Amino acid sequence: MNTSNKLKALIQNPFVTVAVVLLLGGLVTTIYSAEPKSDAPAQTNSVAVNAVPPEAAKAAVRKQLTGAELYSIHCNRCHPERYPTERTAAQWKTIILHMQVRASIPGKQARMILEYLQENSGR
Amino acid sequence: MKKTIKTRRLMIGLVAAAGAVGMGLPPQATAEVSDADFNALKQMVQQLSEQVQSLRQTNILDQQTHTQDVQQLKELQEKLAATKQTAEDAEQKSIVAAQAQAQPLPRAPIDEATVNHNFMILGDAEVQYVNADKQNGSFEMADFAPIFLYRGGDNVLFEAGFDFGLQNNGGTPGSDNNSSGYTTTLNLSFAQLDYVMNDYMTLCAGDLLLPLGTYTERGAGWLNKIPDDPLAIDLVPGSGVGAELRGAVPLGDSGKLLNYAVYGVDGPGSVDGTGSADQLDVGGNMGITSDGTTANLHNHPTGGARLAVFLPFKPHYDLELGISGQSGEWDNAGNHLCTAGVLDASLHLGSSFEVKGEYIISRFGSDDLGTIRQEGWWVQAGYKLAGLNLELPGINNLEMVGRYDSYRDGMGTTTDRYTLGYIYYITNALLFEGDYEFYNSSDPTVPETQLILQMSYGF
Repeated sequence: MNTSNKLKALIQNPFVTVAVVLLLGGLVTTIYSAEPKSDAPAQTNSVAVNAVPPEAAKAAVRKQLTGAELYSIHCNRCHPERYPTERTAAQWKTIILHMQVRASIPGKQARMILEYLQENSGR
Repeated sequence: MKKTIKTRRLMIGLVAAAGAVGMGLPPQATAEVSDADFNALKQMVQQLSEQVQSLRQTNILDQQTHTQDVQQLKELQEKLAATKQTAEDAEQKSIVAAQAQAQPLPRAPIDEATVNHNFMILGDAEVQYVNADKQNGSFEMADFAPIFLYRGGDNVLFEAGFDFGLQNNGGTPGSDNNSSGYTTTLNLSFAQLDYVMNDYMTLCAGDLLLPLGTYTERGAGWLNKIPDDPLAIDLVPGSGVGAELRGAVPLGDSGKLLNYAVYGVDGPGSVDGTGSADQLDVGGNMGITSDGTTANLHNHPTGGARLAVFLPFKPHYDLELGISGQSGEWDNAGNHLCTAGVLDASLHLGSSFEVKGEYIISRFGSDDLGTIRQEGWWVQAGYKLAGLNLELPGINNLEMVGRYDSYRDGMGTTTDRYTLGYIYYITNALLFEGDYEFYNSSDPTVPETQLILQMSYGF
């Protein structure tokens, strides 16, 4: 089998095709989701047309997700949401560490979810 | 006492004065005392007598007062002694208190949320009733699957999942060794030590649930919406002994994540040590060696990885796409590779709708049949009728589910299955599930239809 045929067979393999699509999709998503660069230096002497309105600048700042929102986002991935009152604050600390590992949740988001659950926990 | 002395002195003085007056008068004068003088003297004597009487009474009163004073003085002395004793006691107590303060404070109960370790049990339990078209209906299985968690501090977690099962020997669809009675099993599903190295990476070691797709890690009992596993899950191992690095990198502040996992495990093995195609055991490299001991059957570890993006648009609206795979030698001679790959996807549109699925392939070489190509897939959807906003009793607790899954074992057997069912949420963790399955298989032992009822509880 020459190189051309090998390449053709590779392209025709559905697994490889879907994998490439997923990787490209992930790459595009990564680029799209990347944090905006730090704000450009303020051009105090620029004309009004070039100035960024304060409202637009505020809107450009992405909303920080709350612990409750992160809780809804992540828990719903695998199972029905549990009520915060079902566990004590200490139990939530252990469960969230378990979920941080099992569901691959970044540490900062896990701490925000834990804070929400502990504030609303049974004890 | 002084008053008594004064009184005596006064009386003696009066007697002495009277004597002096008597002695001082001339004898002639006695005879010449007039009645007036006599009466005056008599009156004076009477007055003196009255004064003496008064002084006596005063003396008596003084004596009584003195007695009372003495009594009061005695009482005051007693009170003083008692006060001194009280003061001494208080001083002693203050010394003891000061000494106690110098000692370390006794341990007191503290808020359990601040304790640096905690042990708890999670898990699930199921009871299943099965009625397949080739058998009488029966309670097929009872399962209790606790997960023991021990957290040591903020970064260390040990977790172990066990599976206590009671299986009806006669009820396994497709099984050719049905018999009477039940079999009780106890399996270790996983046992791993997790060390959270930082916000983005965790090191796991032990008997790991492998991240080949998502079903293995998210399909236990009450987590999945259909009681039985997708057929193609058997193409890839569920767990392996080894080490893993896993974690997530946030993509901005909107909750988007890049999930990753890289691992090395003992990998698949051969049941009898040969490279025959039907001897592949994806369950692991551990087994009974030729000398009867349990050990690694071969020295060829397997490596694998998963990469996924998780894209939440808002709470309950998200998409997850993942790709994973592993590869390693599986026969004892080290002549053949076993490679598996999984594509997984999961989509949530609101709190009512979910669809997810996986495409699984496996390739492995063999001595007798050459390269075996296996594949399978499953896609599953669920819709909670609460999304319809109907005011009907019980309908908001109902979720309709459906699944299509397929299995190709690469050695001539193909099976397709269509499943329709429901979940009734008695609570958010107690589920009553019912499913009807339609099979289309080249394996004659597989039933054509099957009813499954299951009660699940997640704790």
